[in-house]
Amino acid sequence: METSSPASAAPVTRSLATPSKASEGRDGAPEPTLIDIRALDFYYGAKQALFDINLAIPDRRVTAFIGPSGCGKSTLLRCLNRMNDLIDGTAVKRGEVKIRDVDIYGPSVDPIELRKRVGMVFQKSNPFPKSIYENIIYGLRIQGVKSKTKLDEVVERSLRGAALWDEVKDRLHESGLGLSGGQQQRLCIARTIAVEPEVILMDEPCSALDPIATAKVEELIHELKKQFTIIIVTHSMQQAARCSDRTAFFYMGKLIEFDETHNIFMNPKNPQTEAYVSGRFG
Amino acid sequence: MPPESSTTPAVDSTVRSFRIQKERTRILGLTWDECIQGFFGGNAFVAVIVLGLITFFLFREGSSFFTQNRDNLTIYRQAGLEYVDFGRQQEKDHAALSRYLSDLRLRTLRHYTDQEGLPAKEAQARLAEFDRFADRFSSASKPLRSLLSDLGDVAVDIKARHQNNLNFAEKRRQLLAAGKTAEAAEVELVPIDYAGEVAAITATLPDFAEASATFAKTLEDLIATPPALPAPELTERLTRFQALTRDYLAGFPATLEAMKAWDPARPVPLAQSFTAFVFGRQWLTASFWQDWYGVMPLIAGSLLVSLIALALAVPLGVGAAVYVNQLASPTEQRLIKPSIEFISAIPSVVLGFFGIAVLGEFLRVASGWSFLAWVPGFPFAERLNALTAGCLLGLIAVPTIFTLAEDAINNVPRAFKEASYALGASRLQTIIRIIVPASLSGIVSAILLGLGRVIGETMVVLLCAGNRIAIPDFTAGLGVVTQPVHTMTGIIAQEMGEVEPGAIHYRALFVVGLLLFFIALLLNFFAQKIVRKYKVSIG
Ligand SMILES: Nc1ncnc2c1ncn2[C@@H]1O[C@H](COP(=O)(O)OP(=O)(O)OP(=O)(O)O)[C@@H](O)[C@H]1O
Ligand SMILES: [Mg+2]
Repeated sequence: METSSPASAAPVTRSLATPSKASEGRDGAPEPTLIDIRALDFYYGAKQALFDINLAIPDRRVTAFIGPSGCGKSTLLRCLNRMNDLIDGTAVKRGEVKIRDVDIYGPSVDPIELRKRVGMVFQKSNPFPKSIYENIIYGLRIQGVKSKTKLDEVVERSLRGAALWDEVKDRLHESGLGLSGGQQQRLCIARTIAVEPEVILMDEPCSALDPIATAKVEELIHELKKQFTIIIVTHSMQQAARCSDRTAFFYMGKLIEFDETHNIFMNPKNPQTEAYVSGRFG
Repeated sequence: MPPESSTTPAVDSTVRSFRIQKERTRILGLTWDECIQGFFGGNAFVAVIVLGLITFFLFREGSSFFTQNRDNLTIYRQAGLEYVDFGRQQEKDHAALSRYLSDLRLRTLRHYTDQEGLPAKEAQARLAEFDRFADRFSSASKPLRSLLSDLGDVAVDIKARHQNNLNFAEKRRQLLAAGKTAEAAEVELVPIDYAGEVAAITATLPDFAEASATFAKTLEDLIATPPALPAPELTERLTRFQALTRDYLAGFPATLEAMKAWDPARPVPLAQSFTAFVFGRQWLTASFWQDWYGVMPLIAGSLLVSLIALALAVPLGVGAAVYVNQLASPTEQRLIKPSIEFISAIPSVVLGFFGIAVLGEFLRVASGWSFLAWVPGFPFAERLNALTAGCLLGLIAVPTIFTLAEDAINNVPRAFKEASYALGASRLQTIIRIIVPASLSGIVSAILLGLGRVIGETMVVLLCAGNRIAIPDFTAGLGVVTQPVHTMTGIIAQEMGEVEPGAIHYRALFVVGLLLFFIALLLNFFAQKIVRKYKVSIG
């Protein structure tokens, strides 16, 4: 994997927290920036998928990425935890992504450590073919946590955090694949928050769910944003409007507009944004 | 849609027609589609039919083995061979004890020459007392032996005449079938009075009892005054020898009882013919005494060779599959995959040849290297043994295991892998904790199919396994792998050409074939079952 920026050699850790920039929140209070994306160009082999992205994602807020299919939302999301490293030939050719002022493409950054801090929930729920319990503690297991009491505690806390505890507490040792689609997705969320990341990336987490399961996940997102910074990719305008604080609109690999969710939907500045949110294309 | 060609004249184009009927060409009353379907269906069913035919054929040829083997065991009893074997067993055990003594002599001699530095002549002289002891020990059985040999002659004679009668009966049947009644009448069967003749053998029981008692007394007296040996380790062995001899002597009354109770007229149940085959520890054919068709040594040989092969092929095949699928660069993949798959294209006779000429010789030489002396079973003198054959079979199994395991790993949903990485797992952790467990059933079935491949392989074992028909000595621990063995496939290939069709030996080989066939069927069945179960659970 090529890295474009030689800048920071420091590991990604919370101790380096010094917000680099502040933007105005809806209530006028300054919002500290957690993730700072600057002039990012991203390539799949020879094909450029992202063009000069500049974006400052606020801490402990929900940011929504919207845009027509193929515009690069998932690509950008996967740049934030370097999941794109797993695809051969991908490269950040220019620009940088800083989380708490640490360039995550810096030479000394370990993507494995990064992913412990930046968790991800996928479009299609993908619990491991293991028990519910084992699914939740997987992240801790690989970090070498052995204490049974600690693990039990994390399982309960995570499942409660994902609003799933009451539904599965009696069958923790049954396979995670035996749950319904909505429960599986919440199990994946629980699994992600079990490792206590700072950021949770969600790539269309509700696209395979029915409206009731979707409502549950949205409610959950609302709860989770007290603790986590959440970035959610969605094709549903309503969902973006309901659960995000800020919305970024992408088109053909470019960031078209980024603003308060309220502004994007009620008062978009860019005509392309307006066309998209009003359903005239995309 | 393009307009269909039709047999009816074109309708005026201004009229909108809705024509969906079509005339179909028919061959022998079948439409073209049905013909094609029949062709493919026929091809598909060939496999099923062939499988059925093979099963039927194997059963037909093999099934009468068990009745024939019962006859074989019956004459063994009727002719009194079974009776004489009680005594012969006693004699054999005695011979084993004598061998123990000669081994002890060798050790003592070595002690004198190596440890005490005596010249050979002096050492021999010091062994004089021991030699006298050993001589007396081994010659003690002489009277018994001559008695048994006489009895054996009588029994073998009865059996031979029985066999002649069988041959005559067959000849007569053939002549009759050819319509030569006159010649057939000339072929005369000599009736045998089994009971009367065997009674002559059993009548010698008092003689035997007496000879055996004298024999026992001689041994008892002998071991009461053992020769002195120069080292405690040797004396210990001699004490052990004394204990063994006492055990041996303690078995005498039981043997005598068995001989007394023996009844030549007792019928041999068919089940015994079956157990004698399945659990029989001897495969002995064309013997002057009695033929045994015990499949145990062959099963043990096949199993041992297969286990060695799997011990080699599983780590290699599965390891390579994991590496190629998960870790290798595309260039490495392009190199490794075809190479491994090419192994399966090597004719097994070539591998066997390589095994004899290179691998066997190399292993034998390597087993003599002093830094390898810790390996169990090393050094060994036999160039052809289970290890040589097992290594080559392992090589043969690698492509099967590799290809199927790689498939299984490849079928693990990418989503599992991504989820694992997204939770901060490293590549290795993902492989060990997610990829391998998720593909485990596929890997297990790959191993089963690899085992099937190995058990069925013939040429390599025939050429390289050493072909000694005996149950390997598992008391040697892991060193057992360096012993020569014979296998189920090997024995069929080796003996099938020499046997007379329809003879018991021929049938026995078919039953071995049947056994192999079912082992293969079972392995495949389980492999498929496991894979199907796995598909369901991954959903
Ligand atoms: N693995 C890949 N290799 C090559 N090109 C890719 C790959 N993944 C995505 N792309 C391309 O990158 C562009 C952005 O894809 P991306 O998946 O980020 O779109 P998206 O906005 O998430 O779309 P959707 O809403 O359909 O999920 C697309 O043109 C796509 O074809
Ligand atoms: Mg996407």
